[in-house]
Amino acid sequence: MNSVVWQWCRKILGSPMFWIAGFFAIFPFIPYIGEFISMGTEVLIWCLFAMGFNILLGYTGLPSFGHGAYFGIGAYALGITFKHLIQGVWIPLILGVLVGTLFTAGVGLLIARKRGIYFALLTIAFSQMFFFVAFRWDEVTGGETGLSGVDRMSVGIPSLFSIDLSSGLNYYYFVLAIFAVSMLVIWRIVHSPFGRVLQAIRENEVRTKYVGYNTTAYKWASFTLSGLFASLAGCLHVLLQNAAFPEVLEWTKSGDVVMMTLLGGGMVNFYGSILGASIFIIFRDLLSSFWESWLLLYGSVFVIIILFIPNGILGILTQKKGRAVLK
Amino acid sequence: MELFLCYLTNGIVNGLIYAVVALGFTLILGVMQVINFSHGLLFAFGAYFSFSLMKYVGFWIALPISCFFVGVMGILIERLAVRRVYGKNPLFGLLLTFGIAMALEEVIRMVWGKPGHSVTAPDFIAGVVNLGIMYYSKYRLFLAGLSALVILLVWIFLERTPYGAIIKAGAHDSEMVMALGKNLPKMRTLVFGLGAALAGVAGVIAAPIHSIRPVMGTYVLMPAFVIVVLGGIGSFWGSIIGGLIFGISTSLYPGRFTDIIPYVLMALILLWRPRGLMGEKSILEV
Repeated sequence: MNSVVWQWCRKILGSPMFWIAGFFAIFPFIPYIGEFISMGTEVLIWCLFAMGFNILLGYTGLPSFGHGAYFGIGAYALGITFKHLIQGVWIPLILGVLVGTLFTAGVGLLIARKRGIYFALLTIAFSQMFFFVAFRWDEVTGGETGLSGVDRMSVGIPSLFSIDLSSGLNYYYFVLAIFAVSMLVIWRIVHSPFGRVLQAIRENEVRTKYVGYNTTAYKWASFTLSGLFASLAGCLHVLLQNAAFPEVLEWTKSGDVVMMTLLGGGMVNFYGSILGASIFIIFRDLLSSFWESWLLLYGSVFVIIILFIPNGILGILTQKKGRAVLK
Repeated sequence: MELFLCYLTNGIVNGLIYAVVALGFTLILGVMQVINFSHGLLFAFGAYFSFSLMKYVGFWIALPISCFFVGVMGILIERLAVRRVYGKNPLFGLLLTFGIAMALEEVIRMVWGKPGHSVTAPDFIAGVVNLGIMYYSKYRLFLAGLSALVILLVWIFLERTPYGAIIKAGAHDSEMVMALGKNLPKMRTLVFGLGAALAGVAGVIAAPIHSIRPVMGTYVLMPAFVIVVLGGIGSFWGSIIGGLIFGISTSLYPGRFTDIIPYVLMALILLWRPRGLMGEKSILEV
């Protein structure tokens, strides 16, 4: 009996997931940096986005450069539901994720047969289409000015307890809870037999097909799943900002999430995307607040990372002989 | 009717400029398998170079010089950076050129300032001309003629010179071409420079009809994507036809949703022909 408990404890303590969630849980109480609670929330949201995206990029090997669109569609779907249909937290959130996932699934049907550079081109083109729709369709999306006034309400069980999410700290923990659950779910997904097939597709799609797997369906599922987490992140982002702007759909956002994943080493390690997203957001926020022409440095850093550390930070740390492979 | 004709002509003129931009883009994409995100910025640099030069030397000298400078920029980008990501995950090339584009856009802001500038068309082609059915801007006609000439020159280069043959062969089977003793790395640099110069020339000639702004690069990059997907990757005629489709479809119904039309067309065409209109042939097949 005791040894079973002991083994469980060891398993939990040995998992980086525990330490990551633990770190974020005590983050608000760390002196000095703990004050930046809204940045912390943003980091969590982008970590979630990057982790979901890595199902597609790191595990399936499909280079999407348009995931900002699904982030944005989730965001807008939540905002529109909140403004026009029903106020609350859970129903707009669920609808937002559902709509975002449906759009991803639809686009996925069109592009799941593709791979490589053609896949990347198509994802860019589609994301731009959604951007223009959000930008021009004033009646629904608010056009250039976006949707504002998406307030955070309370969650809880009526007459038992309720948590007011409009407080920054409460919302941080709300996002953290969703992040932690998603991390577990994504971990399960990529380490399931389904995830193994995705990795097989990454290594050799033709061979996987000949073994008898319907690779198109798997690629579609991987695309849709990553879209699900992208729109979930988008929904949480709207609630953080209390507003949705067309910029969330722009292709620069799509570039950001790819960069985060690569920077941390998402191509070689499950936790790479979390590390990458954290560093990226902190670096970007610091840089943009100190220097007006920060984009110059920002762009140069992109170039340097791609040229000199293409495997990302965890790629360097865990480098062994031969090619590192994401498992 | 007259209005329709005017819109149509506008569409064709815009389409030809888009085609020149997309041609450079598709050349780089087809030969090197690199999605060049800095292509729009090279277009913007063409416009800004000519803006600065035209004050001193006039249009006819500014055109080739700006074009040459942009070509050199392209060669530098290829030599220093893009060369290292050939054959790797396409996202590397994408992010690399994306970073270059962001940095260069900031350089434009630092050198020429944030607000836009307007470029005046050269005197000899200012004003309008009577086409019989309508009056039309001389400059736009000139622009269409020049774009068509550039397209023709690229066609001659690819189809009628040994360089074109080597480039096309290199896109098919680079190992074989190198085994035959051709200097393929040099050819690739040349293609990148040529693609950049095409963006540059489009930037120079388009500058007088739009005001030039630091973000203009982004606005011309997205059409290039759509055109290439519409027409088929690496296809010469695909990018011309795609360019015309893009230009005409965005000019016929001016309105709020104009920007979306080409994207909807793209989705429809992809449903019908998954490789784009001219995409069934292999890379750079003219």
